[in-house]
Amino acid sequence: MNAHAAIEAPVSTPPSQRYDLEMVAVSKVYQGAAAVNGVSLRIPKASYCCLLGPSGCGKSTTLRMIAGHEAATSGDILIGDRNVTDAPPADRGTSMMFQNYALFPHMSAVDNVAYSLKVRGVAKAERREKAREFLDLVRMGEFSERLPAQMSGGQQQRVALARALITRPKVLLLDEPLSALDPFLREHMRGELKRLQRDLGISFVHVTHSQDEAMALADLVVVMEAGHIRQAGAPREIFERPGTAFVARFIGGHNVLARDGRRIAVRADRCRLGSADDAVGFRGRVANVEYLGSTVRVTVAGENGVDAAALVSDETFFAAPVEIGGQATLVWAERDAHALSD
Amino acid sequence: MMTEPGQPRPKSFYFLAAFFAAFLAFMYGPMLVIFILSFQGENGGMSFPMEGTSLLWFKQLLSDTGRVGDIPSALLRSLEMAVLASALTVVICVSAGLAFRRRFPGAGLLFYTAVASLVMPSLFVGFGIALGFKQLGWRTSLFTSGLGAQLTWTLPFGLMITFATIGRFDRRYEEAATDLGASAWQRFKDIILPIIMPGVVGVALFGFTLSYDEFPRSQLTVGAVNTLPLEIWAMTTAAISPVLFALGTVTTVVSFLVLTAAIAIIGLMVRRRSGGRATPA
Amino acid sequence: MSWMQAAPLALVLLVFFVAPLVFVFVVSFFDYDRLAIYPAFLLDNYADVFTSSITLQLYSKTFEYAVIVEAITVAVGFLVAYFLTFHVRTTAWRIGLLVACTIPFFTSNMIRMISWMPFLGREGILNDVVLAMRLSKTPLDFLLFSDFAVIVAYVHILTMMMAAPIVNSMSKIDKALISAARDAGASEFQIVRDIVLPLSRTGVALGSALVLTQTMGDYFIVHVLSGGKSAGVVSAIATQLSAFEYPPAAASSVVLLVVVVVLVGVIFRVVDVRKELAG
Repeated sequence: MNAHAAIEAPVSTPPSQRYDLEMVAVSKVYQGAAAVNGVSLRIPKASYCCLLGPSGCGKSTTLRMIAGHEAATSGDILIGDRNVTDAPPADRGTSMMFQNYALFPHMSAVDNVAYSLKVRGVAKAERREKAREFLDLVRMGEFSERLPAQMSGGQQQRVALARALITRPKVLLLDEPLSALDPFLREHMRGELKRLQRDLGISFVHVTHSQDEAMALADLVVVMEAGHIRQAGAPREIFERPGTAFVARFIGGHNVLARDGRRIAVRADRCRLGSADDAVGFRGRVANVEYLGSTVRVTVAGENGVDAAALVSDETFFAAPVEIGGQATLVWAERDAHALSD
Repeated sequence: MMTEPGQPRPKSFYFLAAFFAAFLAFMYGPMLVIFILSFQGENGGMSFPMEGTSLLWFKQLLSDTGRVGDIPSALLRSLEMAVLASALTVVICVSAGLAFRRRFPGAGLLFYTAVASLVMPSLFVGFGIALGFKQLGWRTSLFTSGLGAQLTWTLPFGLMITFATIGRFDRRYEEAATDLGASAWQRFKDIILPIIMPGVVGVALFGFTLSYDEFPRSQLTVGAVNTLPLEIWAMTTAAISPVLFALGTVTTVVSFLVLTAAIAIIGLMVRRRSGGRATPA
Repeated sequence: MSWMQAAPLALVLLVFFVAPLVFVFVVSFFDYDRLAIYPAFLLDNYADVFTSSITLQLYSKTFEYAVIVEAITVAVGFLVAYFLTFHVRTTAWRIGLLVACTIPFFTSNMIRMISWMPFLGREGILNDVVLAMRLSKTPLDFLLFSDFAVIVAYVHILTMMMAAPIVNSMSKIDKALISAARDAGASEFQIVRDIVLPLSRTGVALGSALVLTQTMGDYFIVHVLSGGKSAGVVSAIATQLSAFEYPPAAASSVVLLVVVVVLVGVIFRVVDVRKELAG
């Protein structure tokens, strides 16, 4: 995988200060089966990294190994310039925000946030004041005395965020942080997370199975499958040059087709509906037409059960509409066809 | 504290594991001792050393010498009673468990009455029943007052387990069955019962063993005849000999057989349900 | 529909539990002599309970047992439950060990009580060990037919009644809470104190109610294992019953009942039992 090249930082800075997190050939084996298989990854300072993949791809296990909640079977994990592979969770410079927030149900918001200070022996008045500052940071100041059961999902999440941030981590780990929220709140919180990451100047590692979320948030998208990193890079690079058929399919918006014994990816929005005598194209029966507002997606079923789709503007589509069941040909410019490595 | 597989165990694990082992020894040690002593030789006494081994004490149990009560009939009586109490406990508790899924007037009162029956000093229950029967001019007997007294003990326990089982039952299964046109009885027979079956076996097990071992509520209510625990009580206050241990061994073996059968059935059902698949990580 | 399904339970409890208690209550006001009991409305039986000097002795003995047994079973039950829930790693081991703990519960309490006799007696196993290790020159007499023996048997029989509800509570604690506390830097002791203990208090309360009432309601363990030397409130009632002194026994029962109900009521104020079981 040529993932590292993509995220190489300028050579001028000393190596120990270029990355917030480095993983070197990290594996996790459960009863003989590798859940994570030789993952190597470098996350530059103050970046937003999304681990993206379907369920069971090893992204959550990777996150839990970074957090120290699971031990790596082999490999090394460095945070800042420290090897933390065997360090306990509280002594790694990481902090984790759990999937369902894991707020202590018997403690108020402020006590939840202040807990890490309490176990360090910080006096009550001091730790509560500090906790309030962090609640203010996530705009939850006025709810400080509420119990988790008295808060909405979004509010719980903000408190969980404050609780994770109060330990002043170098790297904040977020396990599917937005999955429990409704779509409207999800987009809103997405903006909040990005704002916090920029303001605090630390790295966030965010596990998600939503490509939209990863595209919108990340400086660095890491696509995982079956315990391996399949591709890592900036969102735009991944979308424009997916390395494998899996990556192209998973991030969506791509057609994966066979050409001259090789596989290629063509973005659906670069395809248009051509005429039957166009030489380069994908010919088949119109299987579905979906009206999406500003665009229309036309799905064409070809031979051998291969489907391909064109995303055309509503204007273009309605100028020459096609019907489900009719014949159609998808055509694209040669420069938009992108060869895949598998 | 919990650590992941592969990580070294914390020191506290070894301390707690030793504590737990000591606890198990405390639970099983004395029972093991009476099991061994029940094979005491003919001249041996109530404690170690063993003076050889013999089956004398078991023979004495079976023989009707007058020194020991009529143990075989008491055992048989206890078993009959336990089977009956177990069956009634299952039917009554499952039915009530279904009722408690919805609110109905008096639900809280009924539930707390059941809890009260559980925490009530057992002697009072037996006393009250005996007193009531006496005042009404009825005779107490094994399968009327005796059975009723035992049910006041087995039902609350059964109800707790039913709650724990039915409370975890996902109602959407039942709603799905309703959508598919199943009647109330079909929903129960085809959907609910198979899903809660392991819990039902648990209720049956509790019903059986709690009845089989019940003493304080039965004492004043079983009438002229004795159940096995009442025979044991009579023996502890009269003749103390290794016969008592032999009896202990016999009744424990019966409990074990029932328990093993129940665990095997539950295990089989759980395994079949998971389709032999390992649970996903 | 719901009422029909609940009716059998209601009927059994009404006939064999509520009605008998009403009888006990009514009879507690009756008059009696050596031959029979006579309907009346006398407060003499209660007056006897409250004026007798024995009453205080009986209650203090009962509370002494209850408090000691409660303290031991909470400590042991909590540690056992904590070990099973948070230290045993695989589900198979957890279930196996839990079953191992539960099996004795399904065997006869009478036999479990008797099984301490060859252990604690003058020539029992414990004394053999004590003599062999030269911890004492003569056999220890306080082991059997003593308060010690009674408490050992109570702990033996009742600890699982405490541990089982605690296991139930602890198993509902989201493991992510423990991870979150570890992230915050909490030590194991801090996690137990700040997270596990507060979140399993409903189990502790439920277990306490069971252990407390079983201890306070017992009369046969204390009779056999104290060798008749000690007596609790219920022992005294059992004695009155065997002498057919029903009305005073009924009055004593009602008084103890009120005490038990108040204690359990206090405990249940802390816990919603139905919610605890269904969750």
